[in-house]
Amino acid sequence: MKFIKSIFEPLRIISKRNMVLLMAVEMVLALIAWQLSGGGLIPTPTKVLQALGTIVSSRDFVDNLFASLSLTIKGMVISIVIALLISYLAMIPVFYPVARFVVKCRYLTLTGLIFLFTLWTQNGHQLKISLLIFGIVPFFVTSLLSVFEGINVQEFELCTTLRMNSWKTWLEVVVRGRLDQVFEVMRQNFAIAWLMITSVEGLSMSEGGLGVMLIKANKYVQLETVFGTLVIIFILGVLFDYVLGQMRHWLFPYTQLQTRR
Amino acid sequence: MNTYTKHKVLLKAEDVNLQYGDKQILRDINFSIQDIHREGVAQGQVVSLIGRSGIGKTQLFRILAGLIKPTSGVVHIEEDQHPVQAGEMGIVPQHYVLFNHRTIYQNLKIGLDNAAVKLSDAEKQQIIKDYADTFELTEHLKKYPAQLSGGQRQRVSIIQQVLTGNKFILLDEPFSGLDILMVDKVINLLLKVSTLHEQNTLVIVSHDIENAAAISDTIWILSTEEGKPGATIVKEYDLCQMGLAWMPDIRSNPAFVSLIKEVKSKL
Repeated sequence: MKFIKSIFEPLRIISKRNMVLLMAVEMVLALIAWQLSGGGLIPTPTKVLQALGTIVSSRDFVDNLFASLSLTIKGMVISIVIALLISYLAMIPVFYPVARFVVKCRYLTLTGLIFLFTLWTQNGHQLKISLLIFGIVPFFVTSLLSVFEGINVQEFELCTTLRMNSWKTWLEVVVRGRLDQVFEVMRQNFAIAWLMITSVEGLSMSEGGLGVMLIKANKYVQLETVFGTLVIIFILGVLFDYVLGQMRHWLFPYTQLQTRR
Repeated sequence: MNTYTKHKVLLKAEDVNLQYGDKQILRDINFSIQDIHREGVAQGQVVSLIGRSGIGKTQLFRILAGLIKPTSGVVHIEEDQHPVQAGEMGIVPQHYVLFNHRTIYQNLKIGLDNAAVKLSDAEKQQIIKDYADTFELTEHLKKYPAQLSGGQRQRVSIIQQVLTGNKFILLDEPFSGLDILMVDKVINLLLKVSTLHEQNTLVIVSHDIENAAAISDTIWILSTEEGKPGATIVKEYDLCQMGLAWMPDIRSNPAFVSLIKEVKSKL
């Protein structure tokens, strides 16, 4: 009874074990609700599970999975390098306007730019990578600048009193001091990249990928396969999120010291 | 009676004014701190700047540290009396800012890394070990700042500034938020730091009159004057001259008790 009461109380911190239990119960309840309400247009979990088995055992699943993963990772790595460069340089006044412009590029829709990128790039792979980068970088830069602009002025003053010059201060406070938050931004943006992958893959289907599988299933109204593919994309996303979260705690142990749980 | 002599001026503020728009914050701030000599002791200087909350103490603190420029006037430091530059004075802010991504050892080392005297890694390690032993931080060297209590963080923050080689250290409300035992520890720490070097000069910005006065050789009262805008130093007490400096049991001294009463009345 006490436990039930505690899970409805704002700001209450419950043990990790209880939280896992809570998640499991809520997941089971959601699946039951889905199973009971499904059967019409939306396939039931059992049908999706069957489709999942078929998808995973299909001949080209591994190839498609590898195509999506390699595209995402390649796009992310290039995006990270570009976004970090722009964001770190934004601390130098001459580069700041460039960073602000990149931030505003969030409002440019990819759809309108596909034609332009098609002309610029030489093949489908380049087109997909370019769109992925263009889609991620402005969001990445926005989050990074927000992290850097939120730095307490006293940290910079501490560096001044420790006789650091402006480059050393930049390196200590902006670069080293915010590596954990940069990693967190990267983790969040990985999710955005993963979200975009299916749309981008549809632009050039010759290389395959999970997005291509999804589009084909959509085309032939194979709803079980669509849901099965979505479940795979979801599980992989959650897995990446977990791995990156664990890596953050391992690489930056001090991040765990200031959180509520 | 402690015998002492005062020598060269180490820190001097001349006609310092600070104004934001139409609002005068600080007006005609003038003072000087001289190098005090006592036989057999490397006697540094400890000055308290006492004032009510919101009077402009922190603004004066930032001007002294060279972090903001006054609207007019100038602060001179060291024997050659050059205008203060940011970085020439150490500051220990009220919330003891440290690098949260570095361990305590690394936080202290960064002070030595930027010191005027270049040392080898082995020498730095030895110095940090010595300071950590003296100031009861040895068991915390591998921890991160978030794992330390407020008092421990404050000690790290002060030692970090000492290790950088800053002879002038400004402390913003060093007794704030500490329990009685911790206050005693901080007082001992400040007294130790002040006697590490002849020219070490601590400026304590505080509204805790008794604790600040107990370890000071000079008290400045920052307050407003009737009919005049902005705060200024309305009174300076030379505790050396009054025979109230460097006495461990000063708090029970009747002259000290009446001094505290007088200071309170001037705020």
